[in-house]
Amino acid sequence: MRLLTHNMLKCHVKNCTDPDKQYPLRFKDVQIEQIEYEANEEFLVRMLPRIDWVALVKTAKDLNIAIPDSVPEDPASDQDFLQSLHTIIMETHVTEGSMVCDGCSHEYKITKGIANMLLAEHEI
Amino acid sequence: MPLFLVYFAQFHEEFRLPELDSLSILENVPIAYDAATYSPESPFLLIEVESAALAAKLVRRGILIRYIIEYWGSGATYAELFSHLKQDPSRWSDYMTCSFKFTVDAFGRSLTQREKVSAIESFSFMACEGPIKMKNPDVEFFVCEEYGAPDTPQPLDAPKKVWFGRLLNQGSRDLIDKFDVKKRTYLGNTTMDAELSLVMANQALARPHALVYDPFVGTGSFLLTCSHFGAYSLGSDIDGRQIRGTAGFRRGVNGISANLAQYGLADRVLDTAVFDICRNPWRPGPLFDAIVTDPPYGVRAGAKRLGRRSGNDPERSLRVVDGVENFRRSDYLPPTVPYEMSDVIGDLLGFAAEKLVVGGRLVYWLPTVAGEYDPKDLPTHPVLRVVANSEQPFGGWSRRLVTMEKIAPLQGDSAAELPEHAPAHKNFRDRYFSKFEALDISSTTD
Repeated sequence: MRLLTHNMLKCHVKNCTDPDKQYPLRFKDVQIEQIEYEANEEFLVRMLPRIDWVALVKTAKDLNIAIPDSVPEDPASDQDFLQSLHTIIMETHVTEGSMVCDGCSHEYKITKGIANMLLAEHEI
Repeated sequence: MPLFLVYFAQFHEEFRLPELDSLSILENVPIAYDAATYSPESPFLLIEVESAALAAKLVRRGILIRYIIEYWGSGATYAELFSHLKQDPSRWSDYMTCSFKFTVDAFGRSLTQREKVSAIESFSFMACEGPIKMKNPDVEFFVCEEYGAPDTPQPLDAPKKVWFGRLLNQGSRDLIDKFDVKKRTYLGNTTMDAELSLVMANQALARPHALVYDPFVGTGSFLLTCSHFGAYSLGSDIDGRQIRGTAGFRRGVNGISANLAQYGLADRVLDTAVFDICRNPWRPGPLFDAIVTDPPYGVRAGAKRLGRRSGNDPERSLRVVDGVENFRRSDYLPPTVPYEMSDVIGDLLGFAAEKLVVGGRLVYWLPTVAGEYDPKDLPTHPVLRVVANSEQPFGGWSRRLVTMEKIAPLQGDSAAELPEHAPAHKNFRDRYFSKFEALDISSTTD
């Protein structure tokens, strides 16, 4: 699972609704793989408004990945920023481990990069 | 604006104009045509485009388009065509010394080699003096004799019409072979055929800056075709076995990721995850440029949602067995219940209305009972506009590819509006297995 996808996912267990705790999900016992791809700057710029930057910074720091604290004023013309954004959200894969909700403690398992986000019967 | 001849493939006729319109947006090439001149029985349509270069660009990813031709003239007979052409000899004066090739084609019957040669020789008045080159000529002249659709009886002694012009470009019909399901490393029993999967990518406006999502991803056909055209894609499914490749026709090949390796698309197919779209973990607000999906309609693979038929029983997932709560066991699978087709579609529209960016598209298949379908069966939503609705018939039933565009931000609690009557697609699975026998009217009211 890429960090871009992780940035878009929250805990969705019934009655787990505290926005400060259900998001972002905290990675636990993860294996990480970096795979290089060509960066698509136009795509990155278009994704920026859809990224929760505070959550991304928190997650990256948890994983010891360097990240700028804020988005520059003109990201489209800042190649260094876009390259580092690309490395973080597109090239970083969590292949094994889990994502934990700080609100309800649900653990969403990740196996071979695929997250199991199904809820149990008491959670729906 | 100059005229160009679009030469469509004679398949999926209802999908051809919607695809052409989508290509115009995708390639940013404005076009104009008179829809009254379009006929499903004919593969030809004259359109206006600003230049030959733009016309060539327009069709390059067309799936239902064979060729685009710079239109020089046409006639009911060759004599009529020639008098049309001779009105403007300056047209071919640019091509008198360059290398050239003539292609003679016919729609509705096949031509013998002798007929083709004789057709080419009849153009000798153009006095092309350059060398004939069968591969990569500087100019390729295109003659097409139109006899009428092959499956309707026609007098075959003379064409109805002869078209002529300069061949500019082909569509991308070669991709149908590339994405042929028989060639895929991994496929399931409901994998969508390649041609329509590719058309869907065009309807979704899949392109290199777009993020596309399939909430019923299955074995991932649409991720492949959308990402082939450069889009980034995500997929989810309530059935993780399809994603991982532990169910389906070819098991043990690593599921969707095997196909990403085969097609070299691991850079653009971002992720797949296992969850129920009815209880999805996406965070609120617009995230996607397109939602492209074939909701399972229950004939071969029924749609499912989380829940228990007899009502949820939380004690079952919380019960401790051998010291571990049931839901924490690695083999725990939550119970599922059938997900009725009309509910699936209504929920899908509500989801798209929230999760698409403005200008984004929802492209989905709706299975329906052919004789009973009414355009009012389609659920609507205040922020979604119908762009296209194309039928693929299968006899008693058909499926419709519906394309919708989000036209405004979602305000407050506006919701999908379901039809007030029972739509023809309601209880589609039961209808399919009862061979679409007409319903007793009293049983349709609920």
